[in-house]
Amino acid sequence: MTGFLDNIIDSIHKNLLVGDAYLIVLKGLWITISISVLSLFFGTILGGILCSLRMSKIKLLKVAAHFVIAVLRGSPVLLILMILYYVVFADSRIDAVYIAVTAFALNSGAHIAELMRSSLEAVDKKQLEAARMLGFSKTGAFFAITIPQAGKIAKPVYQSVIVNLIQWTSVVGYVTITDLTRTVNNIGARTGDPFFALFFGVLIYLGLSYAVFGLFSIGRKRGESR
Amino acid sequence: MIRISGLSKKFGDLVVFENINTHILKGECVAVIGPSGTGKSVFFRTIAMLEKPDSGHIFIKGVDITQKAVNINQIREKMGMVYQGFHLFSHLNVLDNITLAPQLVKKQNKDNAERKAMELLSLVGLAEKANSYPHQLSGGQQQRIAIARSLAMEPEIILFDEPTSALDPTMTSEVLSIIRKLTKMGLTLLIVTHEMNFAKEIANRIFYIDEGGIYEEGTPTEIFDHPKKEKTKAFINKLKVFSYQIQSRNFDHVKMNAEIEIFCQKYNLGAKQVYRIQLFLEELILVIFANCFKIATPNIEIAISYSDETTETTVMVTYQANNFNPFHFEKEDPDNLGMNLITRMSKKYEHHCEKDLNTVHVKL
Repeated sequence: MTGFLDNIIDSIHKNLLVGDAYLIVLKGLWITISISVLSLFFGTILGGILCSLRMSKIKLLKVAAHFVIAVLRGSPVLLILMILYYVVFADSRIDAVYIAVTAFALNSGAHIAELMRSSLEAVDKKQLEAARMLGFSKTGAFFAITIPQAGKIAKPVYQSVIVNLIQWTSVVGYVTITDLTRTVNNIGARTGDPFFALFFGVLIYLGLSYAVFGLFSIGRKRGESR
Repeated sequence: MIRISGLSKKFGDLVVFENINTHILKGECVAVIGPSGTGKSVFFRTIAMLEKPDSGHIFIKGVDITQKAVNINQIREKMGMVYQGFHLFSHLNVLDNITLAPQLVKKQNKDNAERKAMELLSLVGLAEKANSYPHQLSGGQQQRIAIARSLAMEPEIILFDEPTSALDPTMTSEVLSIIRKLTKMGLTLLIVTHEMNFAKEIANRIFYIDEGGIYEEGTPTEIFDHPKKEKTKAFINKLKVFSYQIQSRNFDHVKMNAEIEIFCQKYNLGAKQVYRIQLFLEELILVIFANCFKIATPNIEIAISYSDETTETTVMVTYQANNFNPFHFEKEDPDNLGMNLITRMSKKYEHHCEKDLNTVHVKL
């Protein structure tokens, strides 16, 4: 038993403390979080735009948005990232991090657009009509009834979109970005103790995911079970 | 208050109603009755401009709301609608359901809106449910909240589209008692309903809707007691008389019994009495089968009616066969157990036969 504990302490020392390695881990974590947050921000905006185009009454916009969403949702985010990095922006000097943000924003934007659409369509149209009968304008009813209800329907799926996004950012190492995954991999390679380093990395990702769930559960009122 | 002229509505080739003309005065309570699928709901939705009419005009307090230039939202503030399915806002609690429109549409401040809402909640008897969510309430409670929600906008007209059709009898009377209160508040009410007794009691005018329009209108006495036109007569008569035809030995007796039960419920007959009627008919039909239709295809017609005054149920059965009196049998014949039974169950019975048409009249 003490042997096991000693091993762990030794591993922590070797992997995280020697040469202030934990600072490098924190830096990697910062990169991962930055890419995730920025991608989510732009992805949500893009999702909103795509969704409104997809639901527009003009046929051309509708079809175009449908096509874009289908392509973005259907292609692997890693390939999109590599195409952007090695082909589209190959000659530019844009920082790889921004290219990654673009790739993930495109991918999650498409998913979020569909999520928004399905949530909006799931709202009870009859309640909307009831609001109109109380004198609400179309826009008024949309903001008072549709948005809060669609938001509620979308919330749990939006959570998993975020968690998925965070996990998928672990592939940015392919385009020279030193994110959390790349960092722990490097440490493992350096110390020759990959088990500890990689496992430690998994723990941090787990922590991030639960932080997201925690953030979402704040402010949930009691009695509001539906 | 509401004047409708030449109003027509089609869905594709289907004419829902055509050329409706009517005038509803302030403070009137109009009950709209008629068979299902005759466009009663669409008529209401058109009055509220939720469906656009194909032609015709609707004047609410003199304003033609079919004109594009009219701000329909302002008109609807004065015109409430209560639905069969309640349609409360599921993400809000009861109090917020009621105060939402006054605050956002009428720009009332929160305190005033809530004070008013609490008054309305006590009016509908649900003040203690102010903080509940719609899904925690029964159907009758939800409907009463929906009425309160509509009243919060201080409408002058309320359209009730089958407000009790989704409710069981107890909940129905909860809701009806609230509507009864409203008739005394000077509101103009239009109600689509299948509760005929209720319509009779509260309405000062009845529209019978059929054949794509107001087929017949009049006071409750005119419509219910002395309908003039054919379809109205048939409709009113159907409410009073249950009829069923048997044209096969393997007829669907489960369906017949279920329909009898529904008919009896309208008159609040107890389960025991319903069972008696069902049992009596079953035995009578078996006796008639055994004696008249051993080979021939049966052709039996049943009519049940109930009188409120005498509280008696009358059963009339007619069948095409050789003269056969089901109440006439040799005493102590064990084979005639069924006949014995029906004779003992009936208070009064008579049978006569004319040209092979047997008629049996029984009072239960």
